Amino acid sequence: MALPQIAEDENALIEQAQHGDRNAFGELVSLHYSGVVRVVYRLCGDTGLAEDMAQETFLRAWLNLPSFRPQSSLRNWLYRIAVNATLDVLRRRTDEPLEDEADQMYPDQAAGPETSLIEKERVALLQLAMHSLPEAARSVLVLREYGSLSYQEIASVLDIPVGTVMSRLNYARNRLRELLKSDLLQLENEYA
Amino acid sequence: MHEDMFPLLNAYLDGELHGTRLRDLELHLSSCEVCRNELKQLRLVSDLLQAVPLPEFLPARRFASNLVLSLPRRRMRELPVQPASLAWWLVPAGLLAAWFFVQTAFMLTSALTAAQMTGLLGQATRWLNGGQETIWFAAVSSLFSNRVGAAQPELSLINTLNVFGVNLLDGYLWQALIVLLYWTWLSIWWFRRRPRSMKMENAN
Repeated sequence: MALPQIAEDENALIEQAQHGDRNAFGELVSLHYSGVVRVVYRLCGDTGLAEDMAQETFLRAWLNLPSFRPQSSLRNWLYRIAVNATLDVLRRRTDEPLEDEADQMYPDQAAGPETSLIEKERVALLQLAMHSLPEAARSVLVLREYGSLSYQEIASVLDIPVGTVMSRLNYARNRLRELLKSDLLQLENEYA
Repeated sequence: MHEDMFPLLNAYLDGELHGTRLRDLELHLSSCEVCRNELKQLRLVSDLLQAVPLPEFLPARRFASNLVLSLPRRRMRELPVQPASLAWWLVPAGLLAAWFFVQTAFMLTSALTAAQMTGLLGQATRWLNGGQETIWFAAVSSLFSNRVGAAQPELSLINTLNVFGVNLLDGYLWQALIVLLYWTWLSIWWFRRRPRSMKMENAN
């Protein structure tokens, strides 16, 4: 289906949902659930929390949909709700450890026990590195890397200037580079 | 020089550089080993992040079906009071004030007319006589002033009753007009509110 047609269909669904059509809203949820839950998961690193936050995001979206302006992007609006809701929860539960273990996320055992173990360690290290970033930098990085948003869109979602998006992204990637030096070296060798 | 270029490398990696800035950076990269290496490192970080696998989530359709079942009733939003609405609410207040004024004037006029007819206030209501003559009474009085002398009190009574009737009709007409305007305002107010709440009820 052509992009303008998809946008037109989405606008029609938004209008119906704004007038209280639950099935139309269900269609919108189906379209955007995957993107929302991924972004939330990358922010929090917890599968259960990610699904809870996705649910919270869509509930808030349902309640506030009448005030949504159809000319703006629904995806970006949902991301904004999702990021704010998730960061609120994360701020309240800073002392609790992340629930997901690396082996939950890396079920591929076919590569052999040794390779699998290395991969698990790498994933765990990456998770730790990601979560050691300040939330402001992490949000920008997640929206760029996993949400595939442009700088302008990130600025709009987080309500910050584009210059701040650039500086936070710069900080986040440089910090990750320092934390993941050994992994990067290994990856570089694999590519070589 | 390199430090100036480093922040732009992220934007270049993300496809956010355009025009002369893009050309300048590409020109610089073609001749600068340090910046090329920096860009390579940034790309590796990005690749590493993309390589982190995702756990399995609920399928989108199932999630949406569950969610739709648990959607709460949507409350009607409280509309903020806008400056225009002040004028809107002044309409019934003005109509009530007008109704009160007409009612008072009507009652006073009726009381004075009754007092004049019965002579309760004696000479005190004499000043009303000038404004209380109907056209026909004035014409009859001026044309046949010498001949109607005996019938003067009867004609005067008929004139007063006529004036009373006209005042009564005027009072009721004014009140009917005010009530009509008030009901019109009330209907508009009702219909402006009603469709939204009906829609919300139907939706839920």
